[in-house]
Amino acid sequence: MNLNTTYSEQELVASLRQRDEKAFAYLYDHYATALYGVVNTVVPDKETANDVLQNVFVNIWRKFDSYDPAKGRLFTWMMNIARNAAIDEIRSKSYANTRKTQPLPEDHEISGAVTGPRIEDSGLKKVLGKLKEEWRVLVDLSYYQGFTHEEIAKALDLPLGTVKTRIRSALIQLRTLLQ
Amino acid sequence: MNIQEYISSGIIESYVLGLASEEERREFETLCAQYPELLRARTEFEIALEKQALSATEPPPAFVKEKLLNEIRAQGKVISLGNGSMQTNKRWKYIAAASVILLAGSMAWNISMVSKNISLSKNLYKAKENIMDLAAEIGRLQQNPNVKMASLRGMEISPQSTATVYWDTASHDVYLLANNLPAPPSDKQYQLWALLDGKPVDLGMMDFTVRQKKLLVRMKNAANAQAFAITLEKMDRPDPSKPGGDMVVMGKL
Repeated sequence: MNLNTTYSEQELVASLRQRDEKAFAYLYDHYATALYGVVNTVVPDKETANDVLQNVFVNIWRKFDSYDPAKGRLFTWMMNIARNAAIDEIRSKSYANTRKTQPLPEDHEISGAVTGPRIEDSGLKKVLGKLKEEWRVLVDLSYYQGFTHEEIAKALDLPLGTVKTRIRSALIQLRTLLQ
Repeated sequence: MNIQEYISSGIIESYVLGLASEEERREFETLCAQYPELLRARTEFEIALEKQALSATEPPPAFVKEKLLNEIRAQGKVISLGNGSMQTNKRWKYIAAASVILLAGSMAWNISMVSKNISLSKNLYKAKENIMDLAAEIGRLQQNPNVKMASLRGMEISPQSTATVYWDTASHDVYLLANNLPAPPSDKQYQLWALLDGKPVDLGMMDFTVRQKKLLVRMKNAANAQAFAITLEKMDRPDPSKPGGDMVVMGKL
């Protein structure tokens, strides 16, 4: 297998099942930026996001046998691992502690993002930004913060039915926006 | 079962994004095996989502890959099952704190809305700081035995609206938490009232631009109250000490 191998999804899955390191490096090269985008949206602190991403890929490697293609595409599976890991991280004690000891970044350090790409303009975040505002809050809470519908309803003091309906509407709109 | 209806119900999106409940997942998987059109629609959404996610432009730093490859090499190829799983559910520990943090979540959005010019990472960072502050603030109010809470529910003109008032019976401080109030028309504003024996006492106007930044707002003190209400009032009415507009939400202590 030479360095420039490209894989179909089936081939990639088959090679990863065999614990093929080259296939894994390819997987990383192909998907790390996309998954980093998912992690970053939940975990804004870059250093922590780097660690989370690393763990995400370690877990993809370790738990690869539990990936079932009948239940969804490879990326879907990895994206859910990334999201769960990021949410676990922001809910962890160690994250709260890190956050306390770090100073707020200065305005000029990040606002002049002319030199680098801006996250808000790419990836899933871009589509999410197009959702109606009242829906976006709910999508943020349920998707990026990992709260259940019941928790959201209770905390926002909204009827559970309203929360469910709005999230459903938001998700349907999301599909339209992606097309 | 009407499969077309099921396809467009939002279930595909919840399933793929990992938001569906265990029961919904099981049903979805069973139906996917039965209806090829459902499976097709799922795959289409997955591909669209993947395409969008792959358009992300910020790569992780190069050292992450290096560290990662070293780590998996160090672990060897034989991996014991159940080792280092990150699916551990830490959730139970956080349920108590969740409701407080949640309230703040919507504020995070408000903040990111008003400061569009600053980069998102900064916004989120700030929002998270503010979330911790707000969570602490509400936590303090809820733990204070002198503080009573009133849940204000939407009246006929705005049934979806909700707000919460925290009233300190000792210090008489009043805090208003605007859980869900729509933006008022430009010539109108919200005003909070304490109700005592049916008589309204003015507790101040709510500056909606302030609310955009801060979800929990301190209002005028109330010496006594049985209930609280919010009305929607014209900006320049002659006597602001008396309510003139429609009541939007109301709740008893």
